Amino acid sequence: MTDMMIETRNLTKKYKGTPAVDALNLAIPRGEIYGFLGPNGAGKTTTIRMLLGLIKPDSGVVQIFGQDLKRERIKILRRVGSLVEYPSYYGHLNAVENLETIRRILNVPKSRIDEVLQTVGLTKDAKRSVKGYSLGMKQRLGIASALLGSPELLILDEPTNGLDPSGILEIRELIKKMPQQQGITVLVSSHLLSEVEQMASSVGIVNQGKMVFQDSIPNLQRKAGSEIHIALSDPDAAMITAREQGCFPRLDQGHLVFKGIDNGQIARLVAALVDARHSIYRVEERRKSLEDLFLTMTSGAANASSERHEAGAPRAAGLRKEAAQ
Amino acid sequence: MIGQLLATDLLKMRRTGIWWVVFIGSVGLTAMQALNFGLRYDYLVHDAYASDPWGGLIESTGLFVPIAIYLAMTLLMSMIANIENRQNSWKQTLALPVRRSQVFASKFLSCLIQLLAACVLLTVSTLILGLVLKLPGRIPYMELATFGFYPMLASLPMLGVMLWLTLTVRNQAIPIALGIAASLTSVFGASMPELLPLSWPALAIHSGQTMRFVGLGIGVFAVLYLLGSLHFSRKDVA
Repeated sequence: MTDMMIETRNLTKKYKGTPAVDALNLAIPRGEIYGFLGPNGAGKTTTIRMLLGLIKPDSGVVQIFGQDLKRERIKILRRVGSLVEYPSYYGHLNAVENLETIRRILNVPKSRIDEVLQTVGLTKDAKRSVKGYSLGMKQRLGIASALLGSPELLILDEPTNGLDPSGILEIRELIKKMPQQQGITVLVSSHLLSEVEQMASSVGIVNQGKMVFQDSIPNLQRKAGSEIHIALSDPDAAMITAREQGCFPRLDQGHLVFKGIDNGQIARLVAALVDARHSIYRVEERRKSLEDLFLTMTSGAANASSERHEAGAPRAAGLRKEAAQ
Repeated sequence: MIGQLLATDLLKMRRTGIWWVVFIGSVGLTAMQALNFGLRYDYLVHDAYASDPWGGLIESTGLFVPIAIYLAMTLLMSMIANIENRQNSWKQTLALPVRRSQVFASKFLSCLIQLLAACVLLTVSTLILGLVLKLPGRIPYMELATFGFYPMLASLPMLGVMLWLTLTVRNQAIPIALGIAASLTSVFGASMPELLPLSWPALAIHSGQTMRFVGLGIGVFAVLYLLGSLHFSRKDVA
């Protein structure tokens, strides 16, 4: 546990008595892309601001590179690049001047400006005033600013927020390259699981200021489990056939749904169904979508609205997504 | 570090029009006197201020110096703060490896540099005006050099308040309203009790106790600066 890039212990921040971040324990090992997930208002941004020393925790410890943030803030921040929520920029300056304002403080060679502009693909527009940039370009400029000091740790808060699909793809590719090419550890927050799933190697899910899950992405997917769906001509009669075979499915929209069933059982079941003159349209495996999993985990407080959500729209959306695949 | 920060702040001010405020503020005062003396040359130079025309020019310009300084402090500070406030760049600036107290100091120094530049411009432009008007008598270089500078030092408490407000309050309407109200009241500074810091720039010119009010101004400013800097260093950045 010595090679943790970020480690927090019992990090807590309260606003007017309500905890925004509640005894949060983060652990991010070197070289990972760590997806920091949670619905809006879960305390992601508050946590990230505490990691950067922008706000002071009420209690708890932040250690970055194994050093205490409170004592070594400046030394630590020298090795950290950050982009917090919406990009910060000076609209009246062009991209080079924007980066120059940071370069003067970080004291890195001027050539770094061209390098980071190259990395984020803004070389062409470098001399244009940033006011006229699209949101995607501003976001890329923000990432360029974060990269300017050749950081070992990159903290990106919702870097794909408000971007169009091609913009999201670009940023994602950019982030994915970082650990391999430059050995940078990345903390990237998002409220979209699908987003994080596509770039992160480990993930922490936070809800109402508490960490509800922290592990690697494969472990998260394992937790998701899978189900076998069988679509056929007469589901009610088929239920009986299935029970005779020792399987106890549930009926879902004319599908027989089996949980935790192995290959041999499926083979025997299908043979039995065919023997019983059922027309089998489809036998498919459906992984419980991570969206569902995410919702199950984050609706821990089990309030009415999230229950309704779980049962309604997102599930339907998840199914539609799977049907498309 | 403070040098790097200052260089950064000066770069951020490019194309914001901030230096125009400096220029128009000081040269505008002189232009007003150019109009005044141009229109009433004979009366002012040969009658009202006949004994000391240079002193007359400095005195009539000096009447407007306090209000100009207060307005300049308000405008300049809110423009400086606005650079960071507009796109909420504080979170970027303060997540850099810098001390907050130095960021605060750098904002103060940028404003001070601009105020000093305005004082120099006022001195030079008034000198040029006097020369163009061919005012008779010895040129009072010492007074020309200080008739903007001393009231500026006596007004520093205002800069202390502005520095604090503009850098910590997101809504710039509050400090601007306060600043403008203060500038307008400062016109009557000379007739206000000297307990009010608002009267100090006027008193620094007119009371004959210049150094006392300059000293008071710097002293009160130092206290306000420390309080502002402490608050700025500790506050949460949203």
